[in-house]
Amino acid sequence: MRQDGWNPYVAGALSGLVSIFSVWAAGKFLGASTTFVRTSGMLEKWFAPEKVAKMEYFIREVPKIDWQWMFVVGILIGSLIAAVSSGSFKWQSVPDLWRQRFGPSVSRRAAIAFVGGTIAMFGARLADG
Amino acid sequence: MTELVYGLITGILFGFFLQKGRVLRYDKQIGALLFKDFTIIKFMLSHIAVAMVGVYLLYDLGLVKLSLKPTILGGVVLGGLIFGIGWGLLGYCPGTSLGALGEGRWDAVWGILGMLLGAALYAEAFPWLKTTVLTWGNYGKITLPQVLGVNHWIVIAAFLAGTIALFRFLESRERSKKAANGLNPDKKITF
Repeated sequence: MRQDGWNPYVAGALSGLVSIFSVWAAGKFLGASTTFVRTSGMLEKWFAPEKVAKMEYFIREVPKIDWQWMFVVGILIGSLIAAVSSGSFKWQSVPDLWRQRFGPSVSRRAAIAFVGGTIAMFGARLADG
Repeated sequence: MTELVYGLITGILFGFFLQKGRVLRYDKQIGALLFKDFTIIKFMLSHIAVAMVGVYLLYDLGLVKLSLKPTILGGVVLGGLIFGIGWGLLGYCPGTSLGALGEGRWDAVWGILGMLLGAALYAEAFPWLKTTVLTWGNYGKITLPQVLGVNHWIVIAAFLAGTIALFRFLESRERSKKAANGLNPDKKITF
């Protein structure tokens, strides 16, 4: 069995060096979930700017593009570069394991992923993670 | 502006290694939750081990500040349980959903949209949560070395010893599993 991708210990350790670099160079610790709050706020601002301006949580986490927002976008780009350059990029609407268990329906996967995402982010924010 | 560029570069590097480590995929994330695939555990603990040593070295040299979040048991325990349910359904976490999209797994888009809704709902619920759940067991900004009353390097050494022991256990288990399946164990990793 050929090992797919890099050794996870090596890839993980190298990503740890990225963490150290970030804290040292920019004073920033890696995180992602605040970005979803800021983006939600930016989208809501289009429809109800007065409401967003008064909401306590959006006063705390101001809806704007900041370091972490760019970091999250960077994850997409970095992953794309790694995937395309190694030939492991693959358009897929239903993951293999999901398909085996729940079948090929795209809408079923979409519905559960959406609900799961909603729940996951609420929990992540509650835990302040 | 410089800060935004740093964010982008850091994200690109991190996303690159996440993809190379093969930790972004639904199958890997669910595999970890089912205790069937330990790739994510290996990646994550390796990251933490390296970052922990490096950041505390810089901290001891006075070059960086730590960024502590308050320990609020109500929020962490309830939030963790809720997050776990959502993670199990979605199969991506907030950061890796973008990475999964980057390698073409576009079902992550539904998760990203759901997470945006979840964040919006949380913002609505926040004034109420702040006076209830988020007051339960608030210990403020504490660290493990501080609670234990020991130097941080003792905690780090204990963490590293535990991590290496776990890695050795995982590798020997996987080797014996492969041997049982009649396959040649691929290149040995020893610690």
